[in-house]
Amino acid sequence: MRPLVLCSRGRCGLVLALLLLCAPVRQLFAQEPAAPPDMAVALADTPMYWLKDTSRTPIRVLETGSHVRIVRREGNWYRVTYSDPRFGDETGYVQAASLRGDNSAAGLSTSPSGRLSQRGFIDARAVGFPQSTVVDDQSVVADFLVRDDVFLKPARWLQFAAGADIRANSHDQVEDKWRVDTSARGVLRPRVSLRRLAMAITTNHVTLDIGRQFIRWGRADILNPTDRFAPRDFLNVLDTEYLPVQGVRSAFQFGSESFEVVWLPSMTPSRLPLIDQRWTAVPPGIAPGLTIRDRGAVFPDGGEQGARWLHSGRFDLGASFFDGFNHLPDIDATVDPLAQSLDLTRSYAPLRTYGLELSLPTSAVTVKGEASWFTSPNSTGEEYVLYVLELERQIGEWVLDGGYVGELVTQSRPGATFGAERGIGRSFIGRASYTAGPRRSVGIEGAARQNGEGFYLKGEYSEALSPHWRLTISGVGLGGQETDFIGQYRRNSHASTSLRLSF
Amino acid sequence: MNRHLPIVVGVALLTSLGPWDLGVRVSASGDARQIVAEAQRRSEAKSQRYEGLLRSHEASGKVTEKRWTLERLGSHGQSKSVIRFVTPAEVKGVALLVVNHTDRASDQWMWTPAIERDRRIANQDRSTRFFGTDFSFEDLEERDVDQFSYELLGEDVIDGVACWKVQTTPKETKTSQYTSSVVWIRKDNYASARLESYIKEQPVRRLNYGDLRNLQGIWTAHVLTMTDLKRGSHTTLTLERVQYNVDLQEGNFTLQAIRR
Repeated sequence: MRPLVLCSRGRCGLVLALLLLCAPVRQLFAQEPAAPPDMAVALADTPMYWLKDTSRTPIRVLETGSHVRIVRREGNWYRVTYSDPRFGDETGYVQAASLRGDNSAAGLSTSPSGRLSQRGFIDARAVGFPQSTVVDDQSVVADFLVRDDVFLKPARWLQFAAGADIRANSHDQVEDKWRVDTSARGVLRPRVSLRRLAMAITTNHVTLDIGRQFIRWGRADILNPTDRFAPRDFLNVLDTEYLPVQGVRSAFQFGSESFEVVWLPSMTPSRLPLIDQRWTAVPPGIAPGLTIRDRGAVFPDGGEQGARWLHSGRFDLGASFFDGFNHLPDIDATVDPLAQSLDLTRSYAPLRTYGLELSLPTSAVTVKGEASWFTSPNSTGEEYVLYVLELERQIGEWVLDGGYVGELVTQSRPGATFGAERGIGRSFIGRASYTAGPRRSVGIEGAARQNGEGFYLKGEYSEALSPHWRLTISGVGLGGQETDFIGQYRRNSHASTSLRLSF
Repeated sequence: MNRHLPIVVGVALLTSLGPWDLGVRVSASGDARQIVAEAQRRSEAKSQRYEGLLRSHEASGKVTEKRWTLERLGSHGQSKSVIRFVTPAEVKGVALLVVNHTDRASDQWMWTPAIERDRRIANQDRSTRFFGTDFSFEDLEERDVDQFSYELLGEDVIDGVACWKVQTTPKETKTSQYTSSVVWIRKDNYASARLESYIKEQPVRRLNYGDLRNLQGIWTAHVLTMTDLKRGSHTTLTLERVQYNVDLQEGNFTLQAIRR
């Protein structure tokens, strides 16, 4: 057993440095600039004039407490508009001293136009694994993440977005190099990654997003077979994160109908579990003493494209098409007898999918479903339909969601794939969440294979300690057979605690 | 296997701030329905925008705040609204799109930036509390005068102002957690002063309307206090920068728009 290591290779210092780095960022965004007063209230009965001249007859007298909209200030005068309930708006001048700024009374435009906004958090997490695995006996892993997204909307029709992650980890899951990663193709999580860098152009019916962004499809909750432009980070298979993609997304909205077209010049792969860590399970039958080596990945040339139609009204109904590559790799395994190693090479097979999605609210439950037919354009991979059917119901403060994930193989072909999506196929799934008040929530989520060979159960308690701080405690239980995708992680049950500072 | 969200409830919409917002002209009619209908008619606006501050006072004394902006297009049962949460920081960017219908429950979607997607909100049980506050989803729905039957119970004085006291009972076509409600409507300006909701004979929630101001000809309560009479907790909703008949585009009230 290796000793418990929370901060290996001097990473404590790094974590501290990151904390210090984040402090000014926090201060920068802690307070949004206050808007100048655009409304004012009359402090006393106040005459209002056509011109800035008190010798003239007032056009009206504003009663004490009347609210006016400030057009502009001109010296000691305000040009204001008073909204008369009977006669409509009337504009004139009042002396500045007779008004008090009052943003709370009524507003001029609070339009986001011209607004700089930001959201981010600092998250520190510790995960404890009571059991060791063949390749990993680390019992505690600490994670640190700073995330920040900034949005600038210089005009109503234009928005710029930029975001970045900064990470540290106690178990060598993060690169040592300080570089800004823009590809998300590395095996390790990058120290600094560009999470978002995009421009959005919007008209009444058309939205165009260009750049590094997130694209999510699907109506179901626990698994989304139609969500093809959403690669994920599987370093923890049960606690994944979505990775951004680079490309162009255009959406056309006409009433309840929307039509989306996506083009990516290159694919972004999902990030797999590290081969020397616990979320890579050694397959049964591998000779003892054989070392597993990552021989890298072969990334395909060419882009990806897709289209989606979605009706959103009394019910949601959508259809989608994707032509690109599977972001989950095929694994080519070869034994090197001299090196006594099992060499793994990742490749990304061409993939074409046809999807359907549905969300149908009824008086009793909301029916949610998704199905996608995964085909292999070059006839090398297995072809199958993956579908999800869920029923969701709200009862008091509970939200209950249960269903089934099914799989139907239409063309069987041999091959090894990291089956994070199919791995939950042929399973019963469920989720229950309870809101215990404005600050606390509890959630349970689970899946069990219909053949009983694998299951997981995840519970979470979350409490806001203050407007900025949130504590989350969670536990995951895993069990099953080593031949099952979920069951192979049966020694990876764990508990975690995270403390998040949102800013 | 999405990560569980800190926010686990769906959300209805804070569009209509009272059961029927406010009227100005006094009706001589004592007919309860006419009083309510006149109040509704006088509060109609093409659109509305405001900033809301929701303060939940738990029985333990702890106070939680949430702030958002709201934009509404249309009025009384046929509107579309978008709420965007501004604070606390952990919910910043969460947006809700609500499309109201006169003949059925509203359609609702929530955009959650943490997972970069929208999802339809299941809202079968409208007695569910809104974000854990003392407002239920139903309390925050728009109401239409035709969805209820009315009885004038008499006259009363609220905060020194003479009011009509009207009992409202949901019609069979209208599903409600409440058996009935009693609304106090001010005689001087047709503004709602109080709303008390009953389950059978038991009062369960009381909503007080305060800080009444005339904005662009519409009397608007700027402080609404909902008390859960069973739990002993209360939630205050404060409206700021209220504006009616603003220039809003239909395109702002779509699934594509709430992600921006």
